[in-house]
Amino acid sequence: MDFAWSDQQRELLDAVGRFAREQLDYDVIENDRKATFSHEAWKKCGEFGIQGLLVPTEYGGLGQDPLTTVAVLERLGYACKDNGLLFSINAHMWTAVSPLVNNGTEAQKQKFLPGLCNGTLIGGNAMSEPNSGSDAFALATTATKQGDKYILNGSKIFITNGPVADVLVVFANVDKSRGADGVTAFLVEKGMPGFDPSHKIEKMGVRTSPMSEVFFENCEVPAENLLGKEGGGAFLFTRSLTWERGCILASAVGSMQRLLEKCIRYANERKQGGQSIGKFQQVATKIVEMKLRVESARHMLYHFGWVAGHRKAVYLEAAMTKLHIADAWVKCAEDAIQIHGGYGYMTEYEVERELRDAIGAKLYSGTSEIQRNIIASLIGL
Amino acid sequence: MPAKNLILIEHDRRQIKRPSLHAITAARQLGGDYALLLLGQGLDELAQSLVGYGASTIFVADDPALAEPLADRYAKVIADAFRKSAASALIGTSSTFSKDVLPRAAALLDVPMLTDVIAIEEYEGSLSYRRPISAGSMLATVQLSSERRVLTIRAAAFGAPASDPAVSLVEKLTIDAASLPNGMKFISREERVSDRPDLTEARVVIGGGRPLKDKETFDRLVGGLADLLGGAIGATRAAVDTGLAPNDFQIGQTGKVIAPELYIALGISGAIQHLAGIKDSRVIVAINKDPDAPIFQMATYGLVGDLHQLVPQLIEAVRNA
Amino acid sequence: MTQPIAKILVPFKSVPDPYEAAAPGGTGATAKSVINPFDEIAIEEALRIRERGEASEIVGLTIGAPAVDEQVRAALAMGVDRAIRIDDARALDPYAVARILRTVVEKEAPQMVLMGKQAVDDDSNQVGQMLAGLLGWPQATFVSRIEFLEDRICARCTRETDAGLEVVDITLPAVITTDLRLNEPRYVSLPGLMKARKKPIEVLTCAQLGVQVEPQTTTISTARPPKRSAGTRVESVEELVAKLKEEAKVL
Repeated sequence: MDFAWSDQQRELLDAVGRFAREQLDYDVIENDRKATFSHEAWKKCGEFGIQGLLVPTEYGGLGQDPLTTVAVLERLGYACKDNGLLFSINAHMWTAVSPLVNNGTEAQKQKFLPGLCNGTLIGGNAMSEPNSGSDAFALATTATKQGDKYILNGSKIFITNGPVADVLVVFANVDKSRGADGVTAFLVEKGMPGFDPSHKIEKMGVRTSPMSEVFFENCEVPAENLLGKEGGGAFLFTRSLTWERGCILASAVGSMQRLLEKCIRYANERKQGGQSIGKFQQVATKIVEMKLRVESARHMLYHFGWVAGHRKAVYLEAAMTKLHIADAWVKCAEDAIQIHGGYGYMTEYEVERELRDAIGAKLYSGTSEIQRNIIASLIGL
Repeated sequence: MPAKNLILIEHDRRQIKRPSLHAITAARQLGGDYALLLLGQGLDELAQSLVGYGASTIFVADDPALAEPLADRYAKVIADAFRKSAASALIGTSSTFSKDVLPRAAALLDVPMLTDVIAIEEYEGSLSYRRPISAGSMLATVQLSSERRVLTIRAAAFGAPASDPAVSLVEKLTIDAASLPNGMKFISREERVSDRPDLTEARVVIGGGRPLKDKETFDRLVGGLADLLGGAIGATRAAVDTGLAPNDFQIGQTGKVIAPELYIALGISGAIQHLAGIKDSRVIVAINKDPDAPIFQMATYGLVGDLHQLVPQLIEAVRNA
Repeated sequence: MTQPIAKILVPFKSVPDPYEAAAPGGTGATAKSVINPFDEIAIEEALRIRERGEASEIVGLTIGAPAVDEQVRAALAMGVDRAIRIDDARALDPYAVARILRTVVEKEAPQMVLMGKQAVDDDSNQVGQMLAGLLGWPQATFVSRIEFLEDRICARCTRETDAGLEVVDITLPAVITTDLRLNEPRYVSLPGLMKARKKPIEVLTCAQLGVQVEPQTTTISTARPPKRSAGTRVESVEELVAKLKEEAKVL
């Protein structure tokens, strides 16, 4: 097993690190306080090539494999402190871009992918509803065919990128009597009549990633915006969700690495009782365990990236990767606060924000409880 | 009269630039006779002022074609003078002038060159030169395998030469203006006339960083303190980039290297490139709001706090001291 | 209607990454290499000149072992059209470099050589000037602005000198060395890196160029400069002034 990056991969990673260090070095404290999304940073990432990593080159993407993609996202997470921006980019990539690549018609791909790749368009998806989170396919949102249009009615909640999205992959049921087999995906574009994504939701963490409740009131969606086929939504969603689970925390591994280095620096510089606190076993142990968590998270991430490029059924790996990285991130962030003591509690030191950002990882793309259920059933329990 | 070393002296058409005389100290260390070389137009008085430094000859290249320091012309004249003098070392003090013309002269003479020499020593029977590399974070000791060589030396590392009453002959070089290159034309120079001392010669230098926010504040605080102490003003690259100060105030790896008695750094964090330009100052004072700023590792006295409040206080305190 | 100048040659050097080397708590050394920051500025300027329609082809040039191809690809990724690497892994001094570059200039016949004023590892600031001397071309060093005059026979260059700013006109072909404030280089983008893989890198040896040079500088040793020890913290302006007066005796 060759664990080395190829020259080409190394060049990509170096370029990403430098780009993020020089171009994404803005004040996150203020943006986090005000829950401000940086359109400028989004565009820069698009021009740089992030959003299009996995998209075939004929649609304006870079045609990279999943392993290289997650490694790039990890490096981005390391060099850019704005976890919210990265969360928005990931949501865009896995929940909107990937489904389009896998299920879009030629016309849809030509229309949306170039802009979704180069930073001019923002995407997302809308599945969760006020009464259906973990029970994903129990949708109340309906889509009724009328001539050459579908009329959507209902509401969605916890829609990442909702307030700023140019296009959302919306899941609605065309025939409730068919249950999950009626779930269908639609491309709903900003400005379509009856589509209201403006009800912002304020969050605990990843606050620079905009989120909203989205309402459909006799929303008219042209038939050519049907993504995949009628009743194909559940399959489409499951497939995109699997990739989402495996990859969405790639940047978190980078964030953890950054946190680890910050803790090591602090433990060496901070002196109490005449010596560095890093010499105290209770502090050292926390950091050592942080290191182990970062390494194991990274290895699971890379393994998932490799496996996703080599076979189709990756449900088990996706669930394990998501569960492990989410738990690792929260624990790393918690320990980082403890190590920094009072300074860890201060906004200015940017340690407490990591914990607020990390906690969401146990909730989105399937809660940690759901991941455990999936793993249990897939390993034969 | 053959001299072992030929020294390029710099002037600004009004006066000799005193740091360029420090190359004489280096030449004296190398041993042997040394001659001085002056280029320009209307140089009689300037040439006379060089008598008294013990040079065997003062070569003067005085011609309207040399009124401005165009590198293609100057390098040719310097190379010709070097050949004529039969010297083995061509030395100048590091400055944008010498760095512009001396490497070109070296190429015309087919000899190697060393920049920013700070010490000349002996190594296994021949000379070795010490010079800073990587923004001064390391010092390299090097040797040259060529008998003939070109060097620029750091003024602060060699000190001003003591006067020497030995007789210096002034020799005017014949300049064939028609044979000089014609590919460069001087258009203009933007020079500020200032009452303040030259940055590289001042006893006291006050340096300002980007936290000074705007030109008005920079001039008021940095300038105010400088004027009170009779000092010069310097700036970090970041401050120059944001327009707080002009480029010739820049101190650092690619700006000016200074070694004053007293350097006061206001709002300067101490990037390695800046420290490269100040670390030979005798006393360094740093005022910065960040207690972890690298400059405090090097400062003789460090004061943590907001410069916008502390500097006016400092100005008052110095005034009353 | 004036033609754009046909070719700009941009020599660049692969150097240890100054950002990584300066990382706090590190040893000051790094295995990571990048394009010398001043040369990056030169590449950027050449690209901008081409984007304005004032030049046709930008050719990158470096000297080094195969490992520096990473920096060559970075230059191609920024937008350089093609690149040449002289395969020579020796530690060369500036005059040896200038003599090798001269043979490439004679082969490629560009209208302009644009390069950084100094390499941040060696800080010699000699190669551009030496190259100009060997070629007998005009030079403009430490340039912070380049403007072509009407017929592009001439470049008006603003130079940063100890005294301030100076403006000179130089006839082409010429050698120009860049200073910090000339521009801010674009970053290498991933699409740029992808495109770069299709651009040609020509590898030549000194033997093929017909040039044989030996460096005349040998480095005997390198050492950290004596560390200036940290002094003391003062708590107030009054304390500072008192110490400057009584202790340091500098006021």
